[in-house]
Amino acid sequence: MINDKIMKSIENLPAFPATVQKVSGLLGNPDYLIHELVGVIEYDQAITANILRMCNSAYFGVRYKISTVREAVAYLGRENLVRVVSAAGISKYYNDVKGYYQEATKLWEHSVGVAIMSLILSKRIYNRADSSLFTIGLLHDVGKVVLGEFVLDSFQQIMDLVTNHEYSFLEAEEEVIGINHAEVGAKIALLWNFPQELRDAIAHHHRPDLMTEGDSSISWLIYLADQACMMMGIGGGTDGLAYRGLSEVIDRFKLRQRDFEECIVVLLKDLETAKELLAL
Amino acid sequence: MNRVVVGISEVKVSGNGEDILITYALGSCIAVAVYDPIAQVGGLLHFMLPDSSLDVQKAKKTPAMFADTGIPLLFKACYKLGAEKKRMKVKIAGGAKILDDDNYFRIGQKNITALRKIFWRNNVLVDGEDTGKNYNRTVELHMSCGTVVMRNASGILKEL
Repeated sequence: MINDKIMKSIENLPAFPATVQKVSGLLGNPDYLIHELVGVIEYDQAITANILRMCNSAYFGVRYKISTVREAVAYLGRENLVRVVSAAGISKYYNDVKGYYQEATKLWEHSVGVAIMSLILSKRIYNRADSSLFTIGLLHDVGKVVLGEFVLDSFQQIMDLVTNHEYSFLEAEEEVIGINHAEVGAKIALLWNFPQELRDAIAHHHRPDLMTEGDSSISWLIYLADQACMMMGIGGGTDGLAYRGLSEVIDRFKLRQRDFEECIVVLLKDLETAKELLAL
Repeated sequence: MNRVVVGISEVKVSGNGEDILITYALGSCIAVAVYDPIAQVGGLLHFMLPDSSLDVQKAKKTPAMFADTGIPLLFKACYKLGAEKKRMKVKIAGGAKILDDDNYFRIGQKNITALRKIFWRNNVLVDGEDTGKNYNRTVELHMSCGTVVMRNASGILKEL
């Protein structure tokens, strides 16, 4: 059974980095203690190296040259710290993604793009930008990490449905493999004990209109950020733009064409300043 | 061979037969490749949005971001290297769209429309194209001969 194989691949993924969870937990308390955070981060050498490489990115707007974890914690501020730590912990899953990409690093580039765009859209629409959005953006396509090898095996069949039978890539995955990458992503998120909200957003990032329970606003934001990145070719893959467009997103967010295009201009500018993130 | 990468919102021109101008991952963005076979001068533009009135400041700084500021820039930069408009071959690729987004942010279609309007007003004919649909494209302009090759994300090659 292919489903058993997929479940096995999900279970074989390395556990979600405990450091990221611990840091998020500590930062959840508004009076977090710097020395406690520094201790947790420094304990994890891989994440520490990534953080130090990344935190001097102009994207985070820190004017000082940061060379220690203590300085990073002191100067980045809470929101940026959440973003840096999740990026540092999550990037390793995207080192080798098959099927969807010719180049292995493209899914990471796409995920960073969606994470950044979800913040830009949220600022524009709600006038705020929770860092949890950034984390969800980084993880929205995590299902592709597992499903990639199955997509590769059935690539011709999937592309035939997409090219000649008007299937979306998501629908073709379901038809040929029996499950789509959004569902696989939600299963991974469940295994990693992520909160419901985050799991729902991953599960419905291509079809937020089909979400029947709970608040779908995060799913819609991630959906729109994802579409923007697909249109701009940010980390564009073999699935291309072959996903459903849902015009109700316009009414939901009261966004005009012009607003959307302005957000895209900001996205490209932000990505310019976030090169160190992309290079992980 | 010397590969010169043209990023998103960039334009590059060349008169060097060793160069291959290349631009990656065009989604709804459009690549315009022009080449004068006599002068052996050409250029490649990767623009992302149709209209510079969206952000005039940005358009001044990064004219290649928009169709209406990027396309004139591409042609003028080639003229400077000795190209002549009447000899130039013009090829386009990109403008892909999300499925059934008929009344929604149609950036791909709007980019194509903006480009055709500009070409129409300036009497520019398109000599080859691969536009619309829903796949990502990479485009190469070979400066030795003016050949324009389009590769989609599944690796299928096509000469425009």
